[in-house]
Amino acid sequence: MIFRFVAAVAMIVLSAACGSKETVVKIAVAVPLTGDMGTEGQGLRRAVELAVEEANAAKRFPYKLVAAPYDDRADPKEAVNVANLIISDPRVVAVVGHYNSGCAIPAAKVYARAPVAMVSPAATNPEVTAQQNSKDWSGPRMVFRVVPTDDVQGSYAAMFAYKKLGKRRMTLLHDKSPYGQGLGEQFKKAFIELGGKIVSEDGISVGDKDFKALLTKIKGDSSKPEGIYFGGLYTEAGLLLKQMRELGLNDPFAFISGDGAKTSGIFDVAGDAAGGAYLSIVGIPVEELPSAATFIDNYKKRWTGSGEELKPFDHFGYEAAQVIFAAMERAGGPDRARVIEELKKTKYTGVLGTTTFDGKGDTLNKIVTMTRATAKDRSFPSVK
Amino acid sequence: MLIQQVVNGLTLGAIYSLIALGYTLVYGILTMINFAHSEVLMLGAFMALGLAALLPAVFGTGLIGLAGMFILSMAGAGVINVIIERFAYRPLRNISRLAPLISAIGVSIILQNGVFLWISTQSLRFPEPVAIGSVEVLGATISTLQVIILASALILMGLLHFFVEHSKLGKAMRACSDDIDTAGLMGINPDYIIALTFFVGGALGGAAGVLYGMNYGSIKYNLGFLPGAKAFTAAVLGGIGNIRGAVLGGFILGFLEVFASGYIPNGAQWRDVIAFTVLIIVLLVRPSGLLGEKIAEKV
Amino acid sequence: MRQLLRYRWTPWAVLALAAIFPFIAGTIGASYLVRVGGVIGLFMLLGLGLNFTLGYAGLFDLGFIAFYAIGAYTTAIAMRAGVPAPLALVLAVLVTLFVRALLGLTILRLRGDYLAVVTMGFGEIARLSINNLDALTNGPKGLQLAPWRPLSFLSADPNIQYYLMILFAVGLGAIASSRLEDSRVGRAWIAIREDEIAARLSGIPVRQYKLLAFTLSAAYAGLAGGLFAQWEQFVTPESFVFWESILVVSIVVLGGMGSIPGVLVGALVLVGFPPLMQWKLSADWINYRYLFFGLILVLVTLFRPQGILPSSRREAELTS
Repeated sequence: MIFRFVAAVAMIVLSAACGSKETVVKIAVAVPLTGDMGTEGQGLRRAVELAVEEANAAKRFPYKLVAAPYDDRADPKEAVNVANLIISDPRVVAVVGHYNSGCAIPAAKVYARAPVAMVSPAATNPEVTAQQNSKDWSGPRMVFRVVPTDDVQGSYAAMFAYKKLGKRRMTLLHDKSPYGQGLGEQFKKAFIELGGKIVSEDGISVGDKDFKALLTKIKGDSSKPEGIYFGGLYTEAGLLLKQMRELGLNDPFAFISGDGAKTSGIFDVAGDAAGGAYLSIVGIPVEELPSAATFIDNYKKRWTGSGEELKPFDHFGYEAAQVIFAAMERAGGPDRARVIEELKKTKYTGVLGTTTFDGKGDTLNKIVTMTRATAKDRSFPSVK
Repeated sequence: MLIQQVVNGLTLGAIYSLIALGYTLVYGILTMINFAHSEVLMLGAFMALGLAALLPAVFGTGLIGLAGMFILSMAGAGVINVIIERFAYRPLRNISRLAPLISAIGVSIILQNGVFLWISTQSLRFPEPVAIGSVEVLGATISTLQVIILASALILMGLLHFFVEHSKLGKAMRACSDDIDTAGLMGINPDYIIALTFFVGGALGGAAGVLYGMNYGSIKYNLGFLPGAKAFTAAVLGGIGNIRGAVLGGFILGFLEVFASGYIPNGAQWRDVIAFTVLIIVLLVRPSGLLGEKIAEKV
Repeated sequence: MRQLLRYRWTPWAVLALAAIFPFIAGTIGASYLVRVGGVIGLFMLLGLGLNFTLGYAGLFDLGFIAFYAIGAYTTAIAMRAGVPAPLALVLAVLVTLFVRALLGLTILRLRGDYLAVVTMGFGEIARLSINNLDALTNGPKGLQLAPWRPLSFLSADPNIQYYLMILFAVGLGAIASSRLEDSRVGRAWIAIREDEIAARLSGIPVRQYKLLAFTLSAAYAGLAGGLFAQWEQFVTPESFVFWESILVVSIVVLGGMGSIPGVLVGALVLVGFPPLMQWKLSADWINYRYLFFGLILVLVTLFRPQGILPSSRREAELTS
């Protein structure tokens, strides 16, 4: 019995000591790969893998690049677990992650101890980068974000609704996540400042399917709202749209949401009902950005057969990887500290437009474009 | 507006009731909470999707196709439930009360992850077997889908009632529910009846899954969890083990959720809190659920 | 393994080994395991806590994680209000005890599976309330805490510090459970679990003892929650979902209901296995971690339904 125990310990020790002998440099992808958010995390993983494969094929670096996946299951304690695992692997040069702000915030503290750069493609809570300025922050600044914090899209949408669509009374809905709620709060603030009125406000939960009751209440609201602004993701947005149409809430009753909803997945969820929805995105319109179109093409080609469509944050994941590659090239080698320094100086033009970071690590790319979902060809042409 | 909300409540309640029936049937006979039931309902939805994809010609043909899709998915879900019972619960049945529960949790995890890994990680569009229109009744927009859902649910509940109350097998099921040992002494084969119960419960769950897919238009590997938990709550609310209780509980919960979202300001985000609070209050007043019997414990 | 338990020095030996482990882990490339060990320790505390409710008193609780959450948020809010860290922990325990006692007074008259659903409901009520009451809890955005590193003289690494603090808490908790188990109170609980009516007829104040077991559980959860909050320096409602309650129930049942070593081993296996897989499985296989986890749950239950290390009483019950 004791012998078995000792043997087991020995096995762990030996396997810990022996590693692979080839020169491999890893980009860690720390996202939810399984669990309720697995869908989104797998998309991000695919996007980073595509970037890595392209870099290897073009022989950008004198060593082999690998996208190493780590599953945080959208659970903050798992995120800290994988963060600890990641920093203990010296082959990891930078991290693309996390997806949820609730995971990114505590994980960043761990990465700071190494230090290793963390570039988030989707965590939008301002605290993710703001915490670096707190007196409790121990370590250098190493958090970067290619996705803008929610204040850009929310205020743009408010202006669009008020000036372009002429709406004066809107209903606010959000999914009680840092992303969705943040978007909603910004929309509300800006819309009221412009002179509009938020007739009612409500939160739903991610994973909820049935909004008929809520939509019925909105439809029958005596203050006569002229549209809904929804802060949240495509699944709930799609369900809202589908149920809105079922209840007879069509144009000119507007549905406006953000980039979390702007993905072909919304047509899977809502079908034709998604047509007519106004969805904002960050960056200049895809039609004007050839690199974005190329990315979408390559993604589709690489991942056909898996039946998996592009998710709303995938191009952010791709861009996060590209930004890291650019920093690695400038740093002259896979050195964690140098990569962090070079990331601060990023000025990269890719699928999102031009990305630069401010003093906190937030992206300065705050151009917002409004698109309108078209069911016929599952596209999102820009609306001026 | 009220009519609309009533319709909303009826639809939601119908789906919850079907799922709740699955829980209550199994509990009545084995005093066991089938944690994997939520995944059986999810598999029912996926089976319907698979059937529609494999045989589009057959299933695109209106009501016949719809009924076919239903029956086959229900049968499939029932069979899956029976298989799960045979291998994951039966060996534990006489050993302890909580062991089958942990096994059920394990099965639930396996099924959910299995679908995630081998079928799809994302939302899949659920087919519409019949053209969906809508009709205006008294100011409410009622879609044909809602009518189909309500009708299917009521038909199934009616069939179940008939089966349980007026058939020989149904009588055997009721006997086993009352006292399985004595039923065994009366010549009923308990293993067989338990398997049958799981089949019926699973079939109802599968039907709920199909209706769920139709109602919301898309399905995903984790679709079972939330409705499963809520339907279980509904079954308990009505008195777990009691068939009429499950139906009553399902509709009450459906209406509760609809009216919380629909009439209370900011109700949507407090909806579940309201539902659970009502549950707690009801159980405090009636500790065995609304229709549950007080079981006298023999000393 | 059972034979090892016969020796009185076994628990102390294990404790000593566990205490030394973080200091040698760094040298064998296993510093990750120190972090995992800390998390396992937190769930050991939770398991020991739930053991009072489920293992000793036989009450089916599906919402235990709510008290972990209450402990964590109480600590966070208190520390942000200026309360010193050790006091915040004490406050966390007191608040959880209080809320749990109130809950118990309200719902303990419910039997069996009705209690299960109500506890599940309360768990969800707690989580959703935390998520919605932005003014108090900052809702989904979460709360940051200032770091508390009292063991800096031993190591600069917060993982090691908290590993040791949690180990200490687990040790205390296990000793406390063990004392209670062997006392009149513990025997009363066993009597209640075996046959409530007979126990009542023997003069045991059943209702009070059930409430006692139910309430004491919370102290463990509150302490664990507080330590968790201070270690991560961040609390968010996403950490306290229903699934975690199910995990704690599984730990107690799979480990061995009413058995202290059983619960500890249960936590070790159920909480240790997935991170171990994340570490050792290749990239293609890490998606399968939870599929394997489910399989383990089913297989272990099928082959050892009495639990991995059941209490001798239970083993006798289930295998005779």
